[in-house]
Amino acid sequence: MKKLIIIALMIPLALMLVNCGGKPKAKMNDIPEWYLNPPKAEDAFYEAGDAAKQSMSLAKESADARARDAIARTLEVKVSNMLKNFMQQSGMGDDAEALEFTSSVSKQVANTVLRGVQIVKREMKTEGSQYHAYSLAEYNLNSLIQETVNEAKKQKALYNEAKANLSFDDLEGEIQKLEAVGN
Amino acid sequence: MKIGLKILVFLAFSWGSLDAQTIIPGWFENLPDAPAGNMYAVGYSGKYINQSIARQAAIKKALHNMVKQQRTRLVFEIEEYSDGRLRLLNPSLELSYDESILNRIEATYATIDSSITYDGYFILISLNSLQRAPRVPSDDTGWDENKPKWTTSLPKSKNFNYGVGIVSNYSSWVRAWNDADEYARFDLGKNIKIDAHSIHAIERDNKYIIESKILQQSYDENIEGAIIVSRWYDAENDTYYSLCRQKKL
Repeated sequence: MKKLIIIALMIPLALMLVNCGGKPKAKMNDIPEWYLNPPKAEDAFYEAGDAAKQSMSLAKESADARARDAIARTLEVKVSNMLKNFMQQSGMGDDAEALEFTSSVSKQVANTVLRGVQIVKREMKTEGSQYHAYSLAEYNLNSLIQETVNEAKKQKALYNEAKANLSFDDLEGEIQKLEAVGN
Repeated sequence: MKIGLKILVFLAFSWGSLDAQTIIPGWFENLPDAPAGNMYAVGYSGKYINQSIARQAAIKKALHNMVKQQRTRLVFEIEEYSDGRLRLLNPSLELSYDESILNRIEATYATIDSSITYDGYFILISLNSLQRAPRVPSDDTGWDENKPKWTTSLPKSKNFNYGVGIVSNYSSWVRAWNDADEYARFDLGKNIKIDAHSIHAIERDNKYIIESKILQQSYDENIEGAIIVSRWYDAENDTYYSLCRQKKL
């Protein structure tokens, strides 16, 4: 009888402990390797995103959007660094106009239409009653170079204010050399 | 008594497996390539008491799918707001097409193959009538036991764009395939181009880090020649996968 009472008391306690954990967490073994360590390539860069939702399709949409957003943010930093390097090499890195040009182009490239960002890998896991989606976005470096050149050309007036005697070919040539951007 | 129980268990299990859509025409799982200048489309309908009504519903579905394959306007927008405590996700998907294309297809289409299974009616149509009967695998099959690679890794191709649609937990397999197909079309559109904007702010105090985020992505595009070329049903997880393909221009 005593045993029965102990068991009867243990069951609600066990259930309480189970429910105290909040939302179920993903098991480490379940997390895709490419999410923890996104691949590296010379001609592309990768960013991962994830989302846990009650609906599978919502989890997928959200994880995809976050992976794409991560690409857009990385892109802004990369373009900004790339232009800053070019400006400094041209001896005009500290000019206010040069900084404005750099900031404006990099922001526009990041906020502009992302062509060719693809969700190349996707995995769906279940965690209790939720679906946990993992997405890996890939962006081709050639697309980045093209977008930057296009945007820089659009903002030619600003560039000319920054440095009238530098040719646009110099900037274009410098951007084309950016194989290292994806690393 | 025992034998009766066994029969009952067998029937219960076989009923469940049939209900989970185990028998399908081969071309429903993998759509064959149509001859040059032509196009195939698949239609399907659920259980109907009257077979001719089921056929009509499947043909109607196939015709609408054919129109979507020709040219579809897709408008997609997703917004996500989060301030550390509250998270809101608002996706919006709009699909529209020209009714005049439907009228044109209704006048020219031809039936290639059809199949009645326990679950419903399936039909394969071509855009224009064909002079020679095409070689289409007409046998009904089961779903591939192995998970196709495209369900986790997007196929890489210089000639085609791809998109994948995934849905789960639907009471109607007809609606499930319809939604998986539409999601695959929208996914293809996103892989071609998408407008992306976001603002991130991180606030720190002695105890907490609060990350606030506004994320917005959208596109409005006319997509031509996007075809659902493969489907796969994961019976274990009750999940439907569709693969959409479009030839690059």
